[in-house]
Amino acid sequence: MRLRLCAATLAGKVAARLARLCGRRGSSLPGVVALRLYPGVLARLVSQVRTGVIIVTGTNGKTTTSNMIARMLASAGFRVINNREGANLITGVTAAFVRAADLFGRIHCDYAVLEVDEASFPRVAAQTNPRLVVVTNFFRDQLDRYGELDTTISFIRRTLAERPHISLVLNADDPLVAQLARYVRNTKFYGLAPRSAGAPRGATSREARFCPFCGHSLEYTGYHYSQLGIYQCTGCGFARPRPDVEAAAAAVAGQVMRSRVRWEEKVISVVLPTQGVYNLYNALAAFTTGMVLGIDPATAAASLGHYTPATGRLEGFLYRGKPVYLNLVKNPAGFNESLNLLFAGRGTGDVFIAINDNDADGHDISWLWDVDFEVLAGVKDKLSFVCSGKRGAEMAVRLKYAGVPPRKITVVDNLRAAIDCTLNGRGGAAYFLATYTALWPVEKLLRRRVTRTALENAADV
Amino acid sequence: MLTVCHLYPDLLNLYGDRGNIIAFVRRCQWRGIPVRVREVGIGEPVDFGAVDFVFLGGGSDREQTLMAEDLLRRKDELQAAIEDGLVMLAICGGYQLLGRYYRTLQGETIPGLGLLDFYTRAGEKRLIGDIAVEAELGGRTVRLVGFENHAGQTFLGNIRPFGRVLAGYGNNGQDGTEGARYKNVFCSYLHGPILPKNTALTDYLIGRALARRGQDGILCPLDDTFEERACAVILRRLRLGR
Repeated sequence: MRLRLCAATLAGKVAARLARLCGRRGSSLPGVVALRLYPGVLARLVSQVRTGVIIVTGTNGKTTTSNMIARMLASAGFRVINNREGANLITGVTAAFVRAADLFGRIHCDYAVLEVDEASFPRVAAQTNPRLVVVTNFFRDQLDRYGELDTTISFIRRTLAERPHISLVLNADDPLVAQLARYVRNTKFYGLAPRSAGAPRGATSREARFCPFCGHSLEYTGYHYSQLGIYQCTGCGFARPRPDVEAAAAAVAGQVMRSRVRWEEKVISVVLPTQGVYNLYNALAAFTTGMVLGIDPATAAASLGHYTPATGRLEGFLYRGKPVYLNLVKNPAGFNESLNLLFAGRGTGDVFIAINDNDADGHDISWLWDVDFEVLAGVKDKLSFVCSGKRGAEMAVRLKYAGVPPRKITVVDNLRAAIDCTLNGRGGAAYFLATYTALWPVEKLLRRRVTRTALENAADV
Repeated sequence: MLTVCHLYPDLLNLYGDRGNIIAFVRRCQWRGIPVRVREVGIGEPVDFGAVDFVFLGGGSDREQTLMAEDLLRRKDELQAAIEDGLVMLAICGGYQLLGRYYRTLQGETIPGLGLLDFYTRAGEKRLIGDIAVEAELGGRTVRLVGFENHAGQTFLGNIRPFGRVLAGYGNNGQDGTEGARYKNVFCSYLHGPILPKNTALTDYLIGRALARRGQDGILCPLDDTFEERACAVILRRLRLGR
C-alpha cells in the first residue's frame, strides 16, 4: 500500500512539473493522475493531517474565505495545506495534497483548508472526514452542470445528516444556508446587522422565496443582497438565527473597508483591504471559523487586514496611473455585486466583460439575463463597454436590451485586442470582468501591461 | 397599447427566461409602440381577454406544481383567449404544462392543462446543449438558435411542430421536431433566452399581437447587428454557418 501511495504521489508531482513546462497551470492534473493510479490516495494523505480538515463550500466566496482562513491559521503558527488556485473538484483537492506531500507520500501539517465545489461536497467530505464545514451562500450557478439548486442543497443536507459530528459555520442571513443547522449538533452563525436606513434594491435573482421546511413564503424585513437578509417564515417558526458573530455594515474609506464585529460580549474593529459587502461576509466567515478553532481574536482580525486577493477576486492594478480592477463573474448574485462596484467609482470608466461558455464556465449563459444590468441605464453616459470571449456578442445583446446605447458597446472577439482597447479607453478607471476560463488568460495579458497596486499597505491607513 | 402578461415571474425565474419579456418590451419601445407589463402571481386576477402577449416559462419541480394548480383554475378563460388568437409563448416547463400529461420515470402521470394535443414523458438522459431550429414564420423560413436543457421528451399528437431541428435534440431527440404551434400559441424548448437573439420570432409575435388589435402589424426594421452576431456564433459552432 505504501508503494502505491508513493507511486501515485510521485506521478502526480511529475504531472505537475510537465504541465508547468508546457505552460499550463495544471492545478487539477496532478490530482487526476494520482487518483487514476491509486483511488485511495486522497484518504491516505488526509489521514496524516494532525488537527483536522476544514471545508469551505457554497456558491460564492469559497476561494476568498478559504484563503482568509488559511492565512489566519498560518499567522497563528499552524502549518496549513490549501487548494489556493480555486481548483475545487476532488481532483483539485487531491492535487493540493500531492503537492504538499514528500516523495514518500508523507504530509506534515496541522490543518487542511479546502474550498470545495458544492456539487463535489458529498464526495470530498466522504474522503476527507472534515471536522468543520463553512457554508457561504447558495446562488444559482451553472445549472446545466448540476441541475437545479434544490438538488445540490439536498445532497449537502443528506451528507451532513449522515455526519452530525461535523461543526458548522453558517451564514445566518441566507435561509438556504441557515437551514443546514438542523442536521448537525454544533453550529456557529455569522451575519450582518440589519441596516438602519436604505431600502433594499429589487432582487430579481433572489433564490429563496419559500421556507425550506414548510414551503410557506419567507417574509423579509431587510435585504443585504440577493436573498441575504433578515427573514422569517410566515408558516413555521423558521427565521434568521441570531448570529454568534455579527458585523455592523461597513464604512468604505478609499480602498479599504472598516467594520465593527461583535462576538460574544466583545467588539473588535476589522479593516479589510478590499471592497464589496460579499467580502465582508467572507471575512466574517473566516473570523467565525477562527473563533471556533480558538484563535486569538486580535490575531484573527490582524490577519484579515493583510489579506491579499487571489486572482480575479477584485484584484487592483495600475495602468499609467489609472486604477484597474479585475473580478471573476460566474453567476447573477456575484455579477450584481460587481456592477455595484462600477457605481462606487464616481468618475467615468471603461468596462471589459469576457464571457466564455467552456465546461468550467457552464455551457448555458442564459443566467446573464438574471443579472440586473438594467441598473446601468442610469449611468450609461459614464461607462463604455468592450465585450469579448466566446460569447461576447451575446453579452453585447444583453447590455443593449438593458438600455445601454449601442454606440457605447464594442464587440472585440480577440482577448488581447479587447484588453488593449479597454486599457486605452478614455475613462478614469478600467474594470475587467471575466468568467472562469477567461479569467486566467485575461490576468496573464493584464499583468504584462500593468502594475499591481499596494492594496495591502492601504490597510494601515 | 400592448399589454404583456408575465405569468408567475416569482416562481418561474430559471434560466434567464425573463429576457423574453425584456426583448418583447424593448423592441416595442424602440419602435414607439406603447407597451406595459403585468406580472401575475399565484391567485392574482388576470383577464386573458384584455392581454396581448402571454409568457409562460419553466421552473423547478416544486414551483412547477404550484403554477399548474393555479393555471388549472384559469383554464377555461385561457382556452377561450387562445381560440380568440391570444399570442402566447411557452418555454420548457411552461410548454409541457399546456399538453395532456407528463409521465415521470416512476410511471406516475401528472395531468397537464390539456389545451394542446401532445404529451411528455421523462427520459433517462437529460437533453442538454446548443440547438438550432428552422421554423416558418409568416411564410418566411428562419433559423433560430438557443440552449435546451430538459429531461422530458415531448411527442406531438394532432398539432404541428414549431420548427424542425437542424442540430440538437428538440422535442424528443428522435423525430426531428421542435416545439409546437397552435393558432398564435408558440411552444418551444429553447432557452437562451429565445427572444432577444432570435429577433425574427420576437418581431413576428409583436406583429401578431398588433394584428389582433386591428393594426397592420408591419414593423419598421431595427439594427440587429449584435443579435445576428450572437446567433452566428452558435450556428458556426453547430457547423451551420451561412
